[in-house]
Formats: sequence, C-alpha cells, structure tokens
Amino acid sequence: MAGVWIFAENHDRILELLNIGRQMAMKMETRVCALISHKPERAEEYIRRGADEVLVLPPLAGNQPLDAYIPVIAEESKKADPDIILISATSRGKDLAARIAARLNTGLCSGCMDLKFDEASKTLIMERLAYGGAAVQKVTCTTRPVMATIPPKTFEPALPAEGRQGHIRELSAPAPSAVQVLEIKLKERGTKDITEAKVVVSVGRGIDKKEDIDTVRQLAEALGGEIACTRPISEELHWLPEELCIGLSGVQVKPDLYLGVGVSGQVQHVTGIRKAKVIAAVNKDENAPIFKVADFGIVGDLYDVVPKLIAELKK
Amino acid sequence: MPTIIACFKWVVDEAYIRRGSSGELDFSSVDYKISDYDRNAIEEAVQLKETLGGSAIAVTVGAPAASRGVKDALSRGTDQAWFAADDTFGHLDSSQTAAILAEIIRARIGQYDLIVCGEGSGDLYAQQVGPRLAENLGIPCISFVQKVTIDENRLIADRKIEEGIEVIASPLPALVTVLPDINIPRIPGVKDTLMAGKKPAVTIKKDELQPIGEVLLQTIGLAASRLERDCEKFGTDDAEIARFVGSMRKKGVIG
Repeated sequence: MAGVWIFAENHDRILELLNIGRQMAMKMETRVCALISHKPERAEEYIRRGADEVLVLPPLAGNQPLDAYIPVIAEESKKADPDIILISATSRGKDLAARIAARLNTGLCSGCMDLKFDEASKTLIMERLAYGGAAVQKVTCTTRPVMATIPPKTFEPALPAEGRQGHIRELSAPAPSAVQVLEIKLKERGTKDITEAKVVVSVGRGIDKKEDIDTVRQLAEALGGEIACTRPISEELHWLPEELCIGLSGVQVKPDLYLGVGVSGQVQHVTGIRKAKVIAAVNKDENAPIFKVADFGIVGDLYDVVPKLIAELKK
Repeated sequence: MPTIIACFKWVVDEAYIRRGSSGELDFSSVDYKISDYDRNAIEEAVQLKETLGGSAIAVTVGAPAASRGVKDALSRGTDQAWFAADDTFGHLDSSQTAAILAEIIRARIGQYDLIVCGEGSGDLYAQQVGPRLAENLGIPCISFVQKVTIDENRLIADRKIEEGIEVIASPLPALVTVLPDINIPRIPGVKDTLMAGKKPAVTIKKDELQPIGEVLLQTIGLAASRLERDCEKFGTDDAEIARFVGSMRKKGVIG
C-alpha cells in the first residue's frame, strides 16, 4: 500500500504533519498513514484530523530511546512501500529519519520548509535552506520512499473533520536497543519561550559586558517583548541561556517585531529571524550585514541609542 | 587506550558568498575552511585522546584542494589523517560521503572505539552523514551531544533534546555527533602547524575505493535566499529616534 506516512514524537508535531501530509495525499490521490508512539488513545482523533490509517508503535520501556523504533519503521516501510515519509525535525526525529533513510537507501531532504507535488513530472519538489541560510536549495529524491524532515511549526495543525473513517493497527514490539536512556534532565521552567513572543529584542557582540544586558532588557520591556541573543552571547560568553539563542542551530522566531541591538547580522543568525514581520536594528557599523536585511536601521552607538529609545517609548 | 576518529568536511566559508544581480549565488571570492561544527568534532576527539591516551585520527572526503583541510586537522592535534580525494568528491550526496567514510574506517583503519562528527556541515547542513555512517557500520549513533565521557567500555553522552537533556549510555564502538557548545576549538600555533607536516596522512584515490553509489537527493535549484526588506536608515538625534519609533508604530508591530 502506497501513501504518505508521517511520524512525530509528540501530539503537536503529529498534527502539523497531518496537515501537510493530507495536502500532499490529496494532490497525489493517495492515503495518509500516521505512525504514532505517543498516546495510542488519540488514534481516533488523528483519523478525524486526516489519517486514513494509524499504525501504533508499542510503548517503549522507560530506559529505551526513541531509536529503538528504527528497525520496526524501516521493516514496515519495506513491506508497505510508501511514496513519502515525513518526520518532524525534532532532535530525535532528525536522527531517526537519517538512519531510516540509510536503511532504506533513499534520499532525505533535511529541514524541508516547503514541498510541492509537480503534476507533470509526478515528483515532489522540496525546498530547504543551505549555506547558513544564504541560499534556498530545491531538491528532488530519485528513490522511494521520498523522505523529508519538517521543522516544528512549519505548518499549522490539522483541523478535525466529521465523518472521517480509518483503520488502526498495532505494530510489533521493537527488540531492545543496545543504547539506554539513563536519565532525562528536564529543562528548568521559567525560561521564556521566545518562539511565541510578539516582540523580540536580541543582543549581539556589540555589547561590552554582561551587566549591560539590563539596559537592553529594559528596552525589551518598554516594547512589551522578550530578550534573545546571538550565538556568541550564549555559547561563548554564557551571558544568556542557550534557549534564547536565535539562529540556524538555535531557535527560529516569527515575532511581529525583531530588534537587533549590537547584532552584526551573520547569516546563521538572520536565518532565525526570516519570518519576523518587521526587522529593526541598532549598530554603530553602517556596513553591518544586518542593515541589508532590516526594514528600519539606526546607525549609532547602542549605548547612546538604547536609552533614547526607552525614553521615546515611555513618552 | 581508545582510537578516536573525527570526521570533517572542507567547506565554502559562507560569509564570503555574495548575491549576484539576478539572485544567483556568487562564489567568486569565497575561501574555504574546515566546517565550523567539525572543528568541535576534531577538538573533542583530541581532548578525549589527551585525557585517555590512545590516538585521534582525522578522516575526510573531498576535492583535492581539501588537502589544506587535512593539514589544518593535523595541526589541531589529530595524530594521522585519511583523505579520499577526487575532483568529483566536492559535491557528494550525504549517502555517498557516508559510504566512503565507512569504507575507509572499515577497510583501512579497522579497529576503533569512537567516531565523532559535527552536528551538520556548514554548507548544506543536512545533518545526515553522521547517522548514515553509523548505520553503514552497524554501530549505535547518539546525535546532538553536549558532553561525552568514556567510562570503562561504555560511552555516556548528554544529548540535547527539546525537553532538556537525555543522558545516554552506549556500548563501544559508537558514533556521536556533537553540538558547538561541547568545547571551544583550539587555534593552532606555529609549532602545531610545523608538526602537522610531519604527521602521517594517506590520500586515497577514487579508483582505490568501491564504486560510488547513486545520488539519492538531486539538487535542481540553488538561489540566494531573498529577504526583501525596506532597508530604511535612521540617525541618532531625538527627531530621528521619534521617527524610528513612529515607523514601527505605523507598521502596527508595537503599541
């Protein structure tokens, strides 16, 4: 049975993949099959939201990693020969996808931002970023199944429809993996989720010392937004937690307003702010690359400009 | 004492890529470098060797010009290097690169304990070579790792996931892909560069390898990404600051 397969490790990501999976399946006149490892009692809901079939992976023992499913998914795919497998690009999802692709000897489009079914050639054309975000690469997969990992929040969650029907089938339990999870240390609560913020103010290497972040924080507060940073601030200087680091290997944000303060605008950082409605920047170097991608830019010393901006906003 | 392999890729320095007048990518003034993430992989292999003894081996696949990268990897503290070189190896599919690396590791290096790769390459960032290589070799793969310890005959790795950290134990040999925050790569000094010239480095030609497999993912287009923005500049006097804030209000993005 051909079709579009989706796999994600949690509910929200499953709903996003059901949306794009359904869209593709309608164009290709085929079915959607959701593989789930998470809350099998939700199988009916996934059918209402677009799945024609739900394959339930048996729960893993507490010390088993998600990779234990790799052989089961690869074997099931060899039997069923799907046209497409879409996997959510979470850390574990990216790893699992590449290893399934290796087992199936097929191509995988990593970090796929858009996919279109070309009627004429009957191929799937996929888009992703390359060169730190400086380029858009279009790819096709020459083998079956076509595989892609889709970054979280790329697509809206699928909506439920009345009267949809589908099958639910349980897959066989995986053999235990040689790799074991010893412990999961959950992230401290309290760190703000900047992906949901309407206004994001990001600090870059233009600030001289850690204490100066407070002034920028006041600016963020005056704008009703959250503070974020570039990679050197979190990873080299450890002035802010890594959850606040925007960029290709960090967080991708889509606020109404992004304001970069002392941010030079390296391509990896800019990749993380592409979806901002308005990009603004303050930098003393008028040739800083950030000004090429900003709607509004102030060429000036941030230590002069930031207090003035706070005063103006408080008027 | 462990044998630790670090894989790296010699890539275009993306900071030098320009956007041509019709949106094409202009590579005319680019320089090359060891992919940033792979510098962390090399550093981690060398630090583990410095702590545990044994040896650190650098392996790469690339165009002949990547021999500069081989010397760079040796000057960063690896003891020997293997380099599969061919004019066609500059643009390989992740699956092809992984297959060549697997062949070198299996047939030429033989015995090893740990393979360290970067989380992705600085050019295409497909993040596939590490996991695919582990599958080709039939060994465990732990990706996106922030901390690695070798404890008797097993590996303990802190792996970054969305919810926090997953602490993983794995038998050896294994492969890890490492995140940039795992270490700060050293900057080689003059002495390191001189010593690098004396270390063994083996170049393997295409015809000494198994036939290369098909391309699985075909690139059909590559264009500069567009960020169409207003690019309006403002000064720093009070009137300009007021105009700047006014512009953002007009767009409706602040209250």
